[in-house]
Amino acid sequence: MKKFFYSIIAVALLAVSCEEWEPVIGNQGDPAEPAYETLTVNTTISELKALYKGKPLHINDDVIIGGQVTSSDVSGNIYRSLYIQDETGGIEIKIGNSSLYNDYKLGQWVYVKCQGLVLGNYGGMLQVGAEDPTGEYETAYIDVKSLIYAHVIKGQKGTPLAPVELTENDVKVALGYSYRSPYFGMYVTLKDLTYSHEIFALLYMDNYEDKKASSNRLFLSDQQWGVTTWAMSQNKMKEYLLSGVWDSAKIGNSGDYNYGTIGDADNLGKLMDNAAAYAVSQYFKMPQGTEIQIRTSGYAKFADVAIDREIINGAKIDVTGILAYYNGAAQFTLIDIDGVKIKY
Amino acid sequence: MNILKKSAAVLSAVLLCFTVLAQDPTGGVKGTIINRADRAPIQGATLKLKSGATEIGTVTTDAQGNFQINALADGMYDLSIEAPGFLPTTVNVTVNDGYVKNLFSMSLSPSVLANEVDDSSFGEFDLDGTGYEDTPTILYDQNDVFNNVAGYNFSSVRFKARGYASESQDVYVAGVKMNDALTGYSPYSLWSGLNEATRSKSNVIGSEISPYGIGGYNGLTNIYATPAQVRPGMRFSLLTNSALYRTRVMGTYASPENDKGWSYAVSASARLGGNDWVQGVYYRSFAYYAGVEKNWNDRHRLALVTFGAPGTRGAQNASTQEVYDLVGDNMYNSNWGYQNGKMRNARNRITYEPITFLKYDYTPSKDFELSATVLYRTGKNGYTALDWYDALDPRPDYYRNLPSYFYMANEDYGRLNPVKAAWAREAWQNGLASTTHVDWDRLYTVNRSSEGGRSKYALEERHVDQNDLNLAASMKWNPSSKVTITAGLNGKQNRTEYYKKMNDLLGGTYFLDVDQFAEREYASSNVMIQNDLDYFFAFGEPRQVKTGDKYGYDYYAHLMKGEGWASGKFALGGLEVTIGGKAGVTTFWREGLVRKGLFPGLDADGNPISVGGNIYTTYDENGEVITSKGNSKRSTFMTYAGKINPAYSFTGGHRVFANAGYSSEAPYFDKAFLAPRTRNTLVKDLVNVKSLSADVNYMYATNGYSLRLTGFYTTITDQTDVMSVYYDLNNSFGNFTLSGIDERHAGVELGFEVPTPLSGLSLVGVFTAGEYIYTSNPLLTATVDNSQEIIYNNVPVYYWKSTPMVDGTVQKHYIPSTPQLAASLGLSYFYNYWFIDADVDYFANSYLDMSPLSRTDYATAGPDGKITPEEVEAMTKQEKFDPAVLVNFSVGKSWYYKRKYQYGFSLNAKNILNKKDVKTGGFEQTRMVDNTVSKERYYNFDPKYFYMQGFNYMLNLYFRF
Repeated sequence: MKKFFYSIIAVALLAVSCEEWEPVIGNQGDPAEPAYETLTVNTTISELKALYKGKPLHINDDVIIGGQVTSSDVSGNIYRSLYIQDETGGIEIKIGNSSLYNDYKLGQWVYVKCQGLVLGNYGGMLQVGAEDPTGEYETAYIDVKSLIYAHVIKGQKGTPLAPVELTENDVKVALGYSYRSPYFGMYVTLKDLTYSHEIFALLYMDNYEDKKASSNRLFLSDQQWGVTTWAMSQNKMKEYLLSGVWDSAKIGNSGDYNYGTIGDADNLGKLMDNAAAYAVSQYFKMPQGTEIQIRTSGYAKFADVAIDREIINGAKIDVTGILAYYNGAAQFTLIDIDGVKIKY
Repeated sequence: MNILKKSAAVLSAVLLCFTVLAQDPTGGVKGTIINRADRAPIQGATLKLKSGATEIGTVTTDAQGNFQINALADGMYDLSIEAPGFLPTTVNVTVNDGYVKNLFSMSLSPSVLANEVDDSSFGEFDLDGTGYEDTPTILYDQNDVFNNVAGYNFSSVRFKARGYASESQDVYVAGVKMNDALTGYSPYSLWSGLNEATRSKSNVIGSEISPYGIGGYNGLTNIYATPAQVRPGMRFSLLTNSALYRTRVMGTYASPENDKGWSYAVSASARLGGNDWVQGVYYRSFAYYAGVEKNWNDRHRLALVTFGAPGTRGAQNASTQEVYDLVGDNMYNSNWGYQNGKMRNARNRITYEPITFLKYDYTPSKDFELSATVLYRTGKNGYTALDWYDALDPRPDYYRNLPSYFYMANEDYGRLNPVKAAWAREAWQNGLASTTHVDWDRLYTVNRSSEGGRSKYALEERHVDQNDLNLAASMKWNPSSKVTITAGLNGKQNRTEYYKKMNDLLGGTYFLDVDQFAEREYASSNVMIQNDLDYFFAFGEPRQVKTGDKYGYDYYAHLMKGEGWASGKFALGGLEVTIGGKAGVTTFWREGLVRKGLFPGLDADGNPISVGGNIYTTYDENGEVITSKGNSKRSTFMTYAGKINPAYSFTGGHRVFANAGYSSEAPYFDKAFLAPRTRNTLVKDLVNVKSLSADVNYMYATNGYSLRLTGFYTTITDQTDVMSVYYDLNNSFGNFTLSGIDERHAGVELGFEVPTPLSGLSLVGVFTAGEYIYTSNPLLTATVDNSQEIIYNNVPVYYWKSTPMVDGTVQKHYIPSTPQLAASLGLSYFYNYWFIDADVDYFANSYLDMSPLSRTDYATAGPDGKITPEEVEAMTKQEKFDPAVLVNFSVGKSWYYKRKYQYGFSLNAKNILNKKDVKTGGFEQTRMVDNTVSKERYYNFDPKYFYMQGFNYMLNLYFRF
C-alpha cells in the first residue's frame, strides 16, 4: 500500500518539476533595452530626393538613408508621419501609425531601408512611403507592423537637433526648387513673421459624402472669417457656426456658388449635425512679403488655442517647426504650440 | 381506492414464495434506500431477497425510497440492492421471532462517483464579457438520467439546458442562495477545486419546487457543504488532463461523528499548469475547506465552515476566423506575448473570495426541522487587462494588424493594397512574434523612454469585490404523513466595490489618472478630463497612479433583498401536489466614490461645480443632475413567484409529473445603469423580469430501466441587458442598453438507460430539441463614456422580425451559444468495479451571439439612409454553426486492499475523432465598417469565435481509506 502512496507522490513531484510549468501569469522581469542598430548609410537624404523625376519612384536598389528624428506627433499636429534629417536635408517618412513619438524619440537615429519602398510627392513634398496600387496617391502609408519593422530601423538615441534658421531668401530659393529643395521637410526656425488676417480651410457639408462634389464643399478663404484659433476641433467648429461669423460664406467650388450660404437654416443645420475637426491655414508674411501658411490640424491638441491677441494686432513672431511645400506655397507645420514665439 | 392508497403508502411486497409453509410466516424486512451522497431517497431501487441460491422475492422502492417484504420465515437472507446510477450492494438480513426487521436507512453510493469525473473540470472556461463564465452550463446530476449524461457529454460544446442562461440556475450553499447578487451568475468558481467537500447536494430541475426554496425555471441546487455531509475517510487524488491545467492534487479528510457528537472535515487542492491546446492559459489555483460540526442528540446541530479558492489563472480570448486561419490554429490565444523571452499572459483572473457560514439545525421531532444559516462572502476578484494612453493598441489581433485591413476583394471596403496585405499575411503565417503576440518588450521600451517615466502602457486590474451577508432560515413540518410544509425567510445585504487598480506599470514610474477619451473630446478643459476631480481640485494636477493604487473609476453597488417563501406538498393516493410561492423586495443603488470631471454633479453644498466662470455640472433630459459621485436614487422592486407541481405515481415505477410557475423578479444591478463606471443614471423605465414556465414529464425507473421524457415551454419577458462597447466614430468606450428583451424556450428532453441481455451493460441515450428564440424587438439606447450624449435613444432592434430580406422572408433570431438540438447514444458497462463508457454525441442548431447594433434601422440603412433587402440580409442574418459529431470514451477501475483501502483510476478520452473545427460560441463585434466607398451601406466587423478543443484526456488516480 505504501508503495502505491509513494508512487502517487513521486508522480506528483515529477509533474511539478516539469519545464512546461513555467508560469505565464506574472511579470517576467524587466526586459533589457533593445539593441539599437547602426546601419551603414549609402545615400544621403538630398541624394535620395534627387532621384525623384516627377513620378513615383519604386526603389529597387539597396538604398539606405539615415537621419535623426525631428518631428513628434505628441501634440497631434503631425499625424502618421515621421520626419528625419541628416546634414543634407530632411524628409518625411509616411509611417502610418499614430503616437509615433512613443517609439521614435526626438534626436534618435532612424535608418530607412528604402528597397521596396516608394519615393513620391504630395503637393510638391517628397515622401518615402509604401506602394499605392490604386494610384490615387504617389505613396501609401507604411502601416503594416512587419513592413515598418523591415524598413524603418531604430538606431541610437541622440540629442535632439537644433532648428536650422532660414532667412527669407533661403525660403525663396527653396520655393524655386520646389520638391528638390533640401529645406522642405527640415526642422527650421523662421523669423519675424506677421499675421495676414487671412485663412484657408476646406470644409465639407458631410464628411461621409463625396468630397469632390461641389455641393459638398465650402471654402473659407481670402479673409479671416472670424477664425481666431490655430485650427478647430469639432466643438470649436460648432461654436463658429453658431456665432454667425461664417453666415455669408458660400457653398461650392468657386464659380459654382449655387448651393446657398452657411447662414441658410438648412445648411447650418446640416453642418451642425456633421461638424468635425478641420485643419486651418493661417497666413503669415515674412518681412519682405513671402507668404507662409501655418497649417494646423483640427486634431492637434492646440487646435482650439486662440492666436495671441498681440499676434493678431501685428506683433512679430518667430516660428519653429517643419517647413513644408504645398502647391507652390510655403507651408509651415508646428510640432507644438511652443514653436510660436512672440517678439517684444 | 383503499387498496391503491395502501400500495402507494407502502409500495411493497410482490412476494413470490415458493416455500409454502404450514403456518403463515409473520416476519419481514423493511427500510429506506437513500443516496449516500445527498441522503435523498432513491425511488425505483430493486431489492432481491435470496435464501442461499433461491430467490424469494423482488420489490422496488417507492418515491420515498421505502420498501417492505412481508411473509418471511425466520432465517438468514441475502438482500441485494440495485438502482440505476448506483453501485449495487448486498446485505445480510436475519429475521427472527416473526418480527418485521427494520433496516432503517441503507445508503447506496452513486456509481458515477467511482470514476471521479468532475464536470466542473471540463466546464471551466474563462471568457470575460462573452457570456462565457467559469460555470458548468448544466449541472451534473447522477439522479437524473438526462442530466447525468448531458452534464458531462455536452459540456464541451457549452450546452445550456433548455437554452437558459447560466444565471437562471439557482445555486445554494447550506440553504443560502449564492447566485451573484448583482449579475445573477452561478458562482461555481468560488469553490472550484473543492469537489469532494461540495459533492453532496440536492437538485431539482426545471420549475420543480425544491425543499430549499421556490426557485426559478431552471432548477435549484443546494450544496450541503457541512462537515457531516462530506463522506467520512481520507481521500486523495491526483489528476492530470490535457484540457485545462496540467495537474490537480486534492486531499480530503472527513471524520465520522465521535461519541460526543463532534465531526470535522478538511480538504485542500491545487490546480497547476497549462494545457495542451491553448497557449497562455495557466492555472495557479488553490482551494481549502475546513468545517466542524457538533451534534447534540440529533436535536441540535451546529456547523461552522469556511472555504475559499485563492488563485490566479491566465485566460483565453476569442479571435476572428481570419486570425485562426492565418496561424492555422483555432485555439490561438491573443492574450499573451513574450517578455524577456518568456511567455506572459495579459489577462489573468486573480481571485480570492472566502466564504464562511454558521449553520444551525434544530430537529425536535421526526416531523419538524428548523434550520438557519448566516453566510458571509468577502474578498477580492480582479481581472487584469492592458491599459494604454495615447499609444498604439497593443493587442496583436487588433483589426488594423490583419491582412483584411489592407485588402478586401470587395472594393466597397476601399481596402485596396494587396502588397501591404501580403506583408501582414506573411508576418502572421510565419509567426513573427511582434505581430502574432503581445510585444511586452516594446511596451517596456516605450514606458522607460517616456517623458518623466509616465507609463503609456500598463496592466490594470479590474475589481469586483463583494461583501455579501446572508441570513436564511427555513423549516420543514410534516403535520401528517400526507402533508409536508416547508417555509423560509431569506435576507441579503451586499456591498460590492467596482474599481480598477494598477497591477503593473511595465517599466514606467506612474500612470496619469485622466480620461483619454474625454481628452480627445474636450482637450482644452483640464476639468472635464479628470477621472478624480476632487483630487485635481485639491492638488491642482491629476493623480500619478502607482502600483497598487486605485484609478479610473470606483463605485459601490449596494443591494438589499428580503424574501419569504412557503410550499406545501400534499399526497392523495398516488397523486402528489406541491404548491409554493414567494414574495420579496429588492432595493439597489449606486454610490460613486470619485467625482469624474465629465459628470461632476453638485458640490457638498448642493451648488453646481464651476471653475473660472464655466459651469461643468450637467443635467439630463428630465432636468436631473448627472452625477458620478454619491448615491444614486434607490430602485426598489417587489418580487413574487408562484408554482404548482402535480405528480402522479403509478405502480411499476411509472411517474407522471408537471411543473408550472410564474415569477416576477427584479432586474440585476449590472443591467440597471446606463454607464455605471461613470455615472448614477439609471436605465429608463426599469421593470421586473417576468417568466412563465411549464413542463410535463414522464418518468420510468425500474429493474435497471430508467427513462425521463419532458416537454417544456417557457417565456421570459422584459429583460434588460447592458454591454460595454467601443465606438470608432467617437473614439470612445460606451454602453449599449437593451430593454424589453423577450424570449421563448420550447422543446423536449429525453433520457434513457436500458439494460442489455449482457449483465452490467446498458444502453444510455439522451436527446433534446427545442426552439429558443427572441420574441420581441428590444429597444437600444447607446451612451458614450466621454460625454453625456445619447447616441441612440430607444431605437428598435429587430430581433423578432427583421424587415424583408432578398427572398422576401424575414430573419428571426435565436438564443445563442448553445446547441438547440443535442443527442448522445452510448454504452455503459459496469462489472466488478470496472466501468467502461463509450458514446457518440451529435450537436446542431447553435447560433452566434449577436450585436444589437447590426439589427437596427441605422445599420441596415447605411450612410445613404436607404434600407434595402440586401443590407437587411447582410447585417441581420444570424450565423448558425455547423453540426458536430463527437466520440468519447472512459474507462476506470477501483480495487480494495484489505477491505480498508480503496484505490483506482479513471481515464476519460474526449473528442477521440480530434475534431478541431467545432465552434462552441462567439460573438459579433459591435463595430461596423462605416466608411465604405459607395456610401450606401455598412459592413459588420468579423465575429469572434471560440472553438472546441481537439482530443483530450484526463487521468485521475485516487486513493481512499
